[in-house]
Amino acid sequence: MTGGVDLVGPWALAVLVALPLAGALVLLGRGLPARTATRVGVTISGLTLLLALAAAASAAPFAAYPGSRPGLELDLDWIPALGVHLHLGLDGISVPLVLLTALLTLLVCLHLVRVQPDAGRVGGLVACVLAVEGGALGTFLALDLVVFFVAFETVLVPMWFVIARWGDSGQRASTLAGSSRPGGEQARREAANRFVLFTVTGSALMLLGLLLVAMRSGTTDLVLLAQRGGQDLALGVQTVAACLLVAGLAVKAPMFPLHTWLPPAHTIAPTAGSVLLAGVLLKLGTYGLVRVVVPVVPQGLREIAPVLGAFGVAGVLWAGLACFVERDLKRLIALSSVAHMGFVLVGIASMTPEGLQGALFANVAHGLITGLLFLVVGAVKDRHHTAELALLDRNLRDRLPRLGWLLAFGALAGLGLPGLAGFWGELLAIAGAWRSDSAMGAISRPVAVLAAVGTAVAAAYLLRVLRRLWHGPGGAPAAPASLGGPGRFIGDATRHEVVVMMPLVAATVALGVLPAILLEVTGPAVRALLAGAP
Amino acid sequence: MIATGHGEPLAAWFSVSSAGLAPVALPVLGLLVVLLLDALAPARWRAGRALRRAQDGVSLLALLGAGAAVVGLWRSPDLVAGGAVQAVCSWSAGSGQADPQCSFVVSELTLTLQALIVGAAVVSLLLALDGTGARDRVAHHVLFLAAVTGALALAGARDLVSLMVALELASLPAVGLVGLRRDAPGAQGALTFLYTAIVSLGLLALGAGMLLLATGSLYLRDISLALADAALPGPVRAVAALGVLLAVAGVGYKVSLAPFHLWTPDTYAGAPLPVAAFLSVVSKAAGLAAIVVLLGVGLWPVAAVWAPVVGALAVVTMTVGNVVALRQHVAVRLLAWSTVAQAGWVVLPLASLGDADSVAASAGRVGPVLAEPRGAVAASVGYLVAYVAAGLAAFAVVVVLARHVPAAEEHTLESYRGLARREPVAAAVLGFALLCLAGLPPGVMGLVGKLIALRPLVDGGAWVVAVAAALNVALGVAYYLRWTALLVATPRPVVGGPAVSDGAAGVPTWRVRPAEGLAIGAGALACVLLSVAPQLIAGLLPNGLL
Repeated sequence: MTGGVDLVGPWALAVLVALPLAGALVLLGRGLPARTATRVGVTISGLTLLLALAAAASAAPFAAYPGSRPGLELDLDWIPALGVHLHLGLDGISVPLVLLTALLTLLVCLHLVRVQPDAGRVGGLVACVLAVEGGALGTFLALDLVVFFVAFETVLVPMWFVIARWGDSGQRASTLAGSSRPGGEQARREAANRFVLFTVTGSALMLLGLLLVAMRSGTTDLVLLAQRGGQDLALGVQTVAACLLVAGLAVKAPMFPLHTWLPPAHTIAPTAGSVLLAGVLLKLGTYGLVRVVVPVVPQGLREIAPVLGAFGVAGVLWAGLACFVERDLKRLIALSSVAHMGFVLVGIASMTPEGLQGALFANVAHGLITGLLFLVVGAVKDRHHTAELALLDRNLRDRLPRLGWLLAFGALAGLGLPGLAGFWGELLAIAGAWRSDSAMGAISRPVAVLAAVGTAVAAAYLLRVLRRLWHGPGGAPAAPASLGGPGRFIGDATRHEVVVMMPLVAATVALGVLPAILLEVTGPAVRALLAGAP
Repeated sequence: MIATGHGEPLAAWFSVSSAGLAPVALPVLGLLVVLLLDALAPARWRAGRALRRAQDGVSLLALLGAGAAVVGLWRSPDLVAGGAVQAVCSWSAGSGQADPQCSFVVSELTLTLQALIVGAAVVSLLLALDGTGARDRVAHHVLFLAAVTGALALAGARDLVSLMVALELASLPAVGLVGLRRDAPGAQGALTFLYTAIVSLGLLALGAGMLLLATGSLYLRDISLALADAALPGPVRAVAALGVLLAVAGVGYKVSLAPFHLWTPDTYAGAPLPVAAFLSVVSKAAGLAAIVVLLGVGLWPVAAVWAPVVGALAVVTMTVGNVVALRQHVAVRLLAWSTVAQAGWVVLPLASLGDADSVAASAGRVGPVLAEPRGAVAASVGYLVAYVAAGLAAFAVVVVLARHVPAAEEHTLESYRGLARREPVAAAVLGFALLCLAGLPPGVMGLVGKLIALRPLVDGGAWVVAVAAALNVALGVAYYLRWTALLVATPRPVVGGPAVSDGAAGVPTWRVRPAEGLAIGAGALACVLLSVAPQLIAGLLPNGLL
């Protein structure tokens, strides 16, 4: 069937989804002590990563459907009355994200071995992390609209618990001057609720779109739908479906005016939650756009591509400007996610091979870089008990050299320094937008130009952070005595933390130097996706 | 053969199939045996528990027997062939009709609803056995079985009079059940319920009268044929439409459809908890049976009249239920308002029948006379099945918890704080049931329920209703999650109370009685089973309606 190494059969796909979920169930069922629980988590997520690697090897080479079938495919009857199959598959679009998810979950579990949140049982947190992994892997592997939707929703409840239960109580909610939101449990609950309610509203609309596609075309099979390329759907139906689907997925992505759930959720979530939110959950939205909207309702997406592109670039600029005035480091990283995902949306809206390639690349790069940044900021925050830029010690370069360098690396990667992963995705997305006359029409050039300006804004706000924290004037700690005062001992990143972060650093460099390793995987898939579009 | 007084012989045959009526008859038989036992039992039985045990056993057996009869009927040759058992029918030779006019039909729809009602009734009865409501066994069991009989009869009723009688049989004994707590809130709840039932009966009777006036028949089949006739004069059609609307209003209260939902919170809060469970599942299933039979079987040719109304009512119902539930701090009242919201979801699919073309298209099969609105009705019933399973599981835990907390706090949500530490199994069941009601994985059942409820709307192009319903999903999630979160929240330190020792945490301290354990287990099992195999709720009624 394929030229790949047949390490594992199609059953591996089901196991990939079931293993983390089963691990979560076991951890929930048995209240294991923290030490054992984290070890179970590391074991299970490690096995999942190994299995994902084996499955990826077996699925290679990644010539995607509709030209050929996905490299690995599992197809079981599930709900015959609705024509729903438990259809899972691994192809060039899903492989990078599956690997990214498995890697980030393993790192998060490893991170939890030593660094644990203040409140709540760690076993439950590990269980939630594994459940999120299972749901995310299910979403990335699903080749059926209903299975996709079920998996898409699976991540919500565990993530809600991660934020609401293990969130940072000490987070000073007043990150903006004059804001007086309550802290503690109330703030956690609010952030978690906002996250879930935004997403559920979006996904309910998305469900209507999925149903419309399913009812009008008579199938829920994504392979079949992609092969038809929307030819059996009238333009009106496609446009309505595209609007509903994009609305639902854009909440998750998040797209500019719908992103307001993101800053509090990312800021209040524990480090593990922030990494997963940025690295995995946001990808569900953009992945859904690439997997479901682009191939299934291409003409419909073409109709609304200008709007999507405009909102995407608005997000790039707005979030970039907001980062300038943001005083909380963790919130700043969260806001920068909105900007990065804006590039991904622009790339998708362009509906060009370059743009989609860029979107998929930026997806992965953002997962790696923002994951790294959240780990670093989490470490900084744990040491200072605050993430407010004004209160953090300056001159990290000399005081905490390892953390300082990791932060500098993350920031440079985040601003899109050539040679690091962040560069290629955004470059390709802008290139795609420039050449996107057919989809975005008259606004394609302005969008491209504005997105390019957005990269400059990103450079400016990240360099501002570095100027403050990395250099800083002298070694005098700026923190007032109430936060520990001067003279307290603050340790550098431990070996454990460095080990956890190094894979992300290595992957960022590898993708930056050799973007082809990812582009060659996604390339055929992207060409196949766009083949259906006229 | 009956000779009429006009000299001209008008031939009539009347047929009754006792097998077809068995599911309805067996609870009545059980009811009589319970009464006889009470009248004839020797005094020494009364002293101990023997009499109570016997009455419990008879009631359960009667329900299980009805369940067995349902299963048996499902395998009968008529149904296997995709037809129906015509249980109570008459042929009148004078009218020249080849087909009989039936008052009671055992079809796939009948049996599906009956199976659901019997299952829910068994679990409700198990829950009730140890509660306050069943202290007077005879009163409780007799009223209970009578109400179940009415519900079972509703599923098969195919003429307006049978429908009304069955609906009242399902409702009035339930009023008695509500009053069994014998205190002021109980009396208030019962009275509220009674008033609503009586007013609704009046509306339904008025509606039935108008339909009779417009179509000349009380048989649903004849009514549907008459209404489907394009030659029906406009004024007659208007009378029929008014009758339809009044009839919808008359049965709407039974499922707590707004604006006929106001009895629900008071009655649930006043009733013994197991009776509240009964009302929220069995009674609601009966109400949906009435609505489905009336609208889906009898009145669907004028769906253009009632579908927009049903759609508007469904949206208003779920919005009101969800919004008010957001502010509730009493478990039973929250559940009551949530069942109001769920009622909106249950009738939602019927709103898709407004477009005549889509009816014909979604029917899939053109019957001997007319296409049938199978898809929408199957979706309604499917959603109902999911709701009943989740509602029973949730109520089972609520009932057991109420026995184990101080009387003053028995209904507050705060008493659920940290339940996962004290009672992991019960908390898991309740949490799972709540997520099923919310429609969030791992409660896949609820999600598929929402999916099949929205499907006909999307297909029929009822976008306003569909979008409004979709937005309601988020509202529902908010309060179900609030409750679920309490289950795993850290217990509040009690000021001046005994310190919470971690060693004691996780050790079950509830004394769950066997019947209650069975009820919780059955509810949980149903939720898990339907979540793993949603085909069971998505693939109902494959052979159409009769």
